[in-house]
Amino acid sequence: MTNIYEGSYQWVMFGRDENKPDLIIDTNQYMVRTADRCLLIDPGGVELFAPMLAAVLHYAPVDQITDLFASHQDPDIISSLGLWDQALPNAKLHASALWEGFLRHFGCESIEYVAVGDNGGMIDLGGVQLQIIPAHYMHSAANFNIYDPQAKILMSGDIGAALEEPGAPIFVDNFDAHVEKMRFFHQRWMPSNQAKRVWIDRVRELDIDILAPQHGRMFKGDDVGRFLDWFESLQVGIAV
Amino acid sequence: MKRDQTKSQFVAVASIAAELSAVMDVAKEISLAAANAKAIAFRAGEKAKGFQPITDFINELAKDTIELVTAINEHALSLYQLTVNEYRMTDAYDKFASVELLAEGAAYKESLQQPLNNCQQNMLDCRRDFKVNVTQLLDQLNEVMRPARAARVIAANSRIEASQAGEYLQSLQAVAESVDNAAQVIHENVQRCRSALSVVDLVE
Repeated sequence: MTNIYEGSYQWVMFGRDENKPDLIIDTNQYMVRTADRCLLIDPGGVELFAPMLAAVLHYAPVDQITDLFASHQDPDIISSLGLWDQALPNAKLHASALWEGFLRHFGCESIEYVAVGDNGGMIDLGGVQLQIIPAHYMHSAANFNIYDPQAKILMSGDIGAALEEPGAPIFVDNFDAHVEKMRFFHQRWMPSNQAKRVWIDRVRELDIDILAPQHGRMFKGDDVGRFLDWFESLQVGIAV
Repeated sequence: MKRDQTKSQFVAVASIAAELSAVMDVAKEISLAAANAKAIAFRAGEKAKGFQPITDFINELAKDTIELVTAINEHALSLYQLTVNEYRMTDAYDKFASVELLAEGAAYKESLQQPLNNCQQNMLDCRRDFKVNVTQLLDQLNEVMRPARAARVIAANSRIEASQAGEYLQSLQAVAESVDNAAQVIHENVQRCRSALSVVDLVE
């Protein structure tokens, strides 16, 4: 658990779980904690539910976990939904309208599904407003990021992800060395150069201190711009 | 609900669905046999006079069986849904218990107690509903045996009537045979449904 923003509310990153089963991919989960609300961003797969909720209980009681966000439909993002559905008495899931019929397979009866349209939207945590930024085809057909203009954090889902050794540091400390950990992942998983350009143009408009992907290390300060430049020049969709 | 129990419950419900689907096919065959018998009896005229009312009985039996199996299928479907719900509740309960252990020292650990209690209650409710539904399903399976038994008696009568039908003897005997076989198959399939249910542990 690492606090990555401390203001009138907090951003916390969860990851590097030492007890994670070896064969499942390591993931970063994020939490935005306000005075009486709590948003979990990409809360993770079934295997991570117990350690994730146990970690969150250090910050918030169950009934204040009011919002979940799924950047897309992958199991490492949200296959724990059925368990959150049993645990949370009054929560909403913010996710793409396109994925609703699919995500409900994980179990979503008591949680309210807030279907996000292709243009994105807003999550209002009672005074803290977070923007849902479209990132379609990056990599999923219906894909979103979360941008917090106050904390200047962009949770970028799989964009900026790297496959790391267990226990890797949480921030990129040598961008050039980090590039090779990202290259294949982005070339193979991101399907469209056009979608990539649209996303980069959109994100360059934002004031970002931290770019926080769902796997691997986060980018801070100048490394955010370095990542955007590197990604811009990378050809993606290589498997065809 | 233990994991092995969950597996056997899923397998039992799936087996019932498969057996019932076979029973439905056989019931449709009986219905066809009835229509066939009616046509033969009509052609045979006076020689198969005793056979004509039997064809109506055969048809009725097929209709009854199809209706019963349709109702049982719906029941089996709700058993499946209950099994899925119970599996989800049990899984959630186990995971919540792990959270309790992992959250040692967490400031808000106590807030987990309510979801844990709710989950336990839901699990018990599912188990109770499952037991009630299994009992009802067993009753329905007993009911479907009745037309099957009656079909065997009708088949025996059909053979006697067929023996009076002169040149139509063979055709009508074939009808009697097919009704008899169908009744036998239904009986065996329903027995298999009952055995499938018997492996489900209803005690816990």
